[in-house]
Amino acid sequence: MHVDVALFASLSTFQPDGAGGRHARAFELDAGTTIAQVIETLALPDQPRVVFVNSRHAAEDSELHEGDRLAIFPPVAGG
Amino acid sequence: MSEATSCMPDPELRARLRAARVAIIGCGGLGSNVAAMLLRSGVRTLTLIDFDTVAEDNLNRQMFFRDQIGRLKTEALAETLLRIDPGADLRLVTSRISSADLIDTVRDADVIAEAVDTAETKAMIIDLCTRDLPEVPLVTVSGLAGYASANRIATERLADNLYVVGDLESDIRDGLSLLASRVMVASAHQAHAIIRILLECEDDKDE
Repeated sequence: MHVDVALFASLSTFQPDGAGGRHARAFELDAGTTIAQVIETLALPDQPRVVFVNSRHAAEDSELHEGDRLAIFPPVAGG
Repeated sequence: MSEATSCMPDPELRARLRAARVAIIGCGGLGSNVAAMLLRSGVRTLTLIDFDTVAEDNLNRQMFFRDQIGRLKTEALAETLLRIDPGADLRLVTSRISSADLIDTVRDADVIAEAVDTAETKAMIIDLCTRDLPEVPLVTVSGLAGYASANRIATERLADNLYVVGDLESDIRDGLSLLASRVMVASAHQAHAIIRILLECEDDKDE
């Protein structure tokens, strides 16, 4: 299945093409792939992050579906 | 703010701000300044949430004064806000917000402002609020530290009910300091985003 993946801020360098930038990249994934599996495949660092699918909250153990847009955002400290 | 002193000449818009309820999680560099700006703009019902006390090193960027050192931030800030608008309706929550009580504390708000300092707590607030209160806009801040150009601080809508202010990258954990001018820019962005949400302004390309 086809899923778009956008990684924000410091996570953008973990896109497979290594080019950085927040724009989404197209991924071909097996049906039933979970968000956690995508995170593991991309080897994202263990740091605070929030995850959205199609602009709505998503749990990392939820499955992705054809045409989904996954966005992962790592808030940074300071306030 | 009275009609005479309000910055909002349109009575309908003024009434909308007057009826609004905003919850501010954290009353430090962001939250204390956001509260003052919202009040000056006509938002009169605020929930102020913080567990901490005023310290001397807060005075370089937070809306506190030397004679308030040692006092609870919620109470000191409320005192200052009431000097600006004696009619303000302030609810004080003096405790460290946790995942167990967050949602019950902010459930009644029309908009929630995340104004805490650690990345872990920011992530917890964003995660729970977008999950459990999907219809309540949350304005969060990420990336305000250091000396980089303040023009890099922007407001954008990252998800349906999530607005993010900041440059998304400048992290105090990288040794960057919190400079009053940049903190105030981020605070002003955050307060302005809240006002625009309450006034139901359409998104535009500048966001």
